[in-house]
Amino acid sequence: MTADIALDIQRVSRRFGETVALDEVTLQVARGEFLTLLGPSGSGKTTLLRLIVGFDVPTGGSILLGGRDISRLTPADRSAGMVFQNYALFPHMTVADNVAYGLKLRKWPKERRRERVAEMLELVQLGGYQDRYPRQLSGGQQQRVALARALAYDPEIILMDEPLGALDRALRIEMEAVIRSIHRKLRATMIYVTHDQQEALALSDRIAIMRHGRLVDVGTPERLYEDPGSTFVASFFANANLVDAQLLERRGDGRARVRAVGSEFECRTSGPVLGRPKLALRRRSFRLAEPDGPSIPIRGRVAETLLFGDERQIVLDVPDAGRVVALMEARTSAVLGVGDDVQLHVPRDETVVVGEADPDQGA
Amino acid sequence: MPDTPTTTRTPAERRRHLSDLATRAVGGVVVTAAAVFLLAPALLTIVLSFSGDDRFNWPPESWGLRQYETLLESTDWLDAIWLSIRIALPVALLSALIAVPAVIAISRSRLPGRALLQAAGVVALIIPVSAFAVAVYGVFVQLKLIGTYVGLVLANTVLAFPLALVVTAAAMSRVPVELELAAMTAGAGRARAWAGITLRLLAPAILAGCVLSFITSFDEAVLINFLGGSGQVTLPKAIFDSVRFGVDPVITAIATLLMVATSLLMLIALRLRRSGR
Repeated sequence: MTADIALDIQRVSRRFGETVALDEVTLQVARGEFLTLLGPSGSGKTTLLRLIVGFDVPTGGSILLGGRDISRLTPADRSAGMVFQNYALFPHMTVADNVAYGLKLRKWPKERRRERVAEMLELVQLGGYQDRYPRQLSGGQQQRVALARALAYDPEIILMDEPLGALDRALRIEMEAVIRSIHRKLRATMIYVTHDQQEALALSDRIAIMRHGRLVDVGTPERLYEDPGSTFVASFFANANLVDAQLLERRGDGRARVRAVGSEFECRTSGPVLGRPKLALRRRSFRLAEPDGPSIPIRGRVAETLLFGDERQIVLDVPDAGRVVALMEARTSAVLGVGDDVQLHVPRDETVVVGEADPDQGA
Repeated sequence: MPDTPTTTRTPAERRRHLSDLATRAVGGVVVTAAAVFLLAPALLTIVLSFSGDDRFNWPPESWGLRQYETLLESTDWLDAIWLSIRIALPVALLSALIAVPAVIAISRSRLPGRALLQAAGVVALIIPVSAFAVAVYGVFVQLKLIGTYVGLVLANTVLAFPLALVVTAAAMSRVPVELELAAMTAGAGRARAWAGITLRLLAPAILAGCVLSFITSFDEAVLINFLGGSGQVTLPKAIFDSVRFGVDPVITAIATLLMVATSLLMLIALRLRRSGR
């Protein structure tokens, strides 16, 4: 991967007086990779994006794009394309003029410009919309024009700041498909900022999880799901329930003997398990019947059930563990009524023990 | 017909319905009366301007364009109109030149005390003109600006530019900063992004601000009495003077022309602001 690094972020910090918005973030993005910066608001993800695109200058560290240090260049000199949450289309220009904006600045001849605009609009499935004005388009269409405008001059990197944040759910899913297909076709390096983990899952090759201005973890969606490394990743990214666990015996092979939810068993650990250990129970891991493999019994009283369509959310009061939320198949879980004392089962290989502290915060 | 809804109302419902009707009727009367009160003097003036008499008569004994002919033959009136225009034009220009950088500073910079700057900008809209005029008079005496053209332009600018500021600031709030940032990432320099996108989008509002400042200055009747000295006679001053020495019916013609011109300019300003949206 070293030869093919598009973006190399080296110990980049951004301080505003006493506040540290970004604390020595180091991150490499491979050429053609789709990387998502995921984190709650105030985690520093947008600050990092602004530093990459050049709306702000880091107070420490450097940013290399294609091997060139760009951290102090103006946005115009960086060869980046940007897509904003509010589309930021030029309202006084037609769709074609919007898309051609970067090409005009690069002095492309008119004929080539026209061809490129048509090609880009075809790519975002807006062929024939050249002469419309932004106000005549829906939100989803406007965002596709913005994407075409950012892609047209073939920048080295495409940056997107919560581009689907202003769209409704159905449109978001449609746009995710559009973005995925464009990334597949162009193999452009893309950095995407969001606080929505579903969006991150649907789009990303890798996800960088941020919190309090630091990079908590970077990995493929599968890896972050299976091996979250910390309670923050387990709960924020995988939506897992975290219940108190007691480490009885740690093994060298990444497994440990633990006591939790009223039983004793052996299961995987993830990360260094700093601070208080917690057992992560993912919402979709709960079963009504005991599975074939080894499993953990969860006994509790049903506090609430809520039908989500194909799935049903069951809130369980578990002694010594507190409230646990499970998502189960709607039809079979219909037998669970509020107030019932029930026993559910979680396959042991779907659970993991994590430490409460972030590994990089040193407990 | 068991399914048709019954129309019988409870007494409370009937009371509410009646009071609803009454409120609407009273509202209609008030609005009509207000419109008549506002428009009647204007309409009366327009009608009178077509009187053929050489003094005020109601109803006029004859009709004609006599007032307009007198106006066009009188160099005093034409000089006054010309001076008002010569003052209002630079006032409009200066207002825009002050308002645009002020709006940038207020809405796009991290300047400390921006809110204060904005409040200070519109303070001339709030303080009474006569109080302002007395203060300016004191300063202008010191600077020997009383009765000078430059002095009148400066004083009128202070009075008129807040309008340009307000209109431009309103337009600026509808231009997201991301537009400029988008232009810059696409390869535009800061100046080009600013001029080609933000300034371009503000242009209608800036023009509207100019028109409003022009009207404010052109119509200014208080400052001129303090600062005009004896030499500078603008149109509003000339109207005052003519009324003081007996009523000349020619002012109905002037008032009519003023109303028409102002309405047209206002219409232009309104159009410009709409097109900027």
